[in-house]
Amino acid sequence: MKAINILLFKRLIKVGFSFFLLSILFNTGCVESRKIASKSGVQLWAENCQRCHNTPSPSSFSASQWETIGMHMQSRALLTENEKNKIIDFLQSSGR
Amino acid sequence: MKKTVFKIFFTFTFCLFCLVNSIVAQQDVQKTDSSVASNPVVDTILQNRVAALEKQVAVEKKGESHFMVVGLATMGFMYNKSVTTINGIGTTTKTSSFPDIDRFEISPMMLWRHGKKLLFEFEPSWNGTSFGVNWGDVSYFVKPGFIVRGGYIVLPFGIYNKRLAAGWINKLASDPVGIADYPPSSDYGVEITGGLPLGNMKWSYDVSLTNGMQLLNDGTMQSSGIVDNNINKTLTGRISILPFSNSCLELGVSGLYGGIGDANSNYKNAKSNMYALDFNFVKTVSKILLNVKAQYNYINVTNENYVNPTDTNSTYSFNNKTTSFFGQLSMRATSAPGVLKNFELASRYVNYTTPVNSIWGAITDEYDIGIDYWFTWRSVLKVVYESQKITGTTPISLGGYLSNSTQNNRIVIQYSVQF
Repeated sequence: MKAINILLFKRLIKVGFSFFLLSILFNTGCVESRKIASKSGVQLWAENCQRCHNTPSPSSFSASQWETIGMHMQSRALLTENEKNKIIDFLQSSGR
Repeated sequence: MKKTVFKIFFTFTFCLFCLVNSIVAQQDVQKTDSSVASNPVVDTILQNRVAALEKQVAVEKKGESHFMVVGLATMGFMYNKSVTTINGIGTTTKTSSFPDIDRFEISPMMLWRHGKKLLFEFEPSWNGTSFGVNWGDVSYFVKPGFIVRGGYIVLPFGIYNKRLAAGWINKLASDPVGIADYPPSSDYGVEITGGLPLGNMKWSYDVSLTNGMQLLNDGTMQSSGIVDNNINKTLTGRISILPFSNSCLELGVSGLYGGIGDANSNYKNAKSNMYALDFNFVKTVSKILLNVKAQYNYINVTNENYVNPTDTNSTYSFNNKTTSFFGQLSMRATSAPGVLKNFELASRYVNYTTPVNSIWGAITDEYDIGIDYWFTWRSVLKVVYESQKITGTTPISLGGYLSNSTQNNRIVIQYSVQF
């Protein structure tokens, strides 16, 4: 019984420590560099869309459709918020 | 008396002030009307133009909600020559089919967005023989890098099922065997996910809690059409990193753990743990767009005792481990002149090894090579040659053979489009 408690305690420590590290990483480590922040929408569009499929033509969808597709793509490709916003802005402005 | 006089005087003055203002305002309107009357043509043109612009703004004005349908259709023709050799005796079978019934798919995906925080996704699918659902979920975008999702979700295991399975994205005609269908791609549950920057790099996380699969009497697992009758849930997660600032390389690690036993069966304590590694590299090198993708799955199920189908009075057991791997390379000369830039050469190797000494034990090796022609960024015609060899490893005691192998050679012509 004592051995089980010790094992459980060790597991709790491991889980708690992992969660603590992830929290630090999540809240403080998640900033982009100036190089990344300065990228334009067209650059992010060219780099990220082709990770899975061909780069989409801006004229394929309307501005409202790009807004909706952007959310879908952000959740699939796990784009950062900055990437999604810049790519959608580029697609919306270029499609007109 | 003085107060009363003051009140009367103040009221009279106030009313006079209002009256004068009203008269002055009417005079201004009359002046405007008279000016309109003096230039009717110019003002009518302006008014018509303003009306047209207002109408255009009303049409294009973004609302809170937006609904749209996108989706895909995949169809084609397949010719297959199959040679099955059992204990040295071979049998040849030739088949062909329109529209390649094993790879046919029409899947309209419905997306409904409410504001910038809520997204509903639903994708039913017709595969030529039955209707199904690929996913149906609701996502709430809580904050940058944090999305919460619930419903019938695609499990975050590897990269293929979530991103590469669509016909107009897959460079070849078939899904890699053992990757797309095992473990299952979708399940009921909740998920948290997000992509976050990390200096010049990026990383992402994707964790789900779902009902889980169920172990069957032969050691395989079933995901759809089951009743979740136990309290076990399955935890699935993937972490990935994109180490280069141009996002050309992504490395992912996935894991899955959960109870898979039917509470009313002998397998109620059965557990499964799975791991996956995925690799994705896309970059233009010397004017050639190189696209390299790979995924390795390892599936382990606790050893259980199964009823021998050839002798129901006895049981058997085996190491229930399954591995599957695919590696593919495609190249496209995006700077080539004319229609040449629309061609893409693709190749893939697949290995799928199911447990030796099980009823379904086999080793599958497959080599695919194909050429794609891209009409548009989302419309493609593929001509693919597939060479697949399946070697059975079921022991004789379970109904197997001394030697058992099947060689499939296929030519697939496939068209796929996103609409």
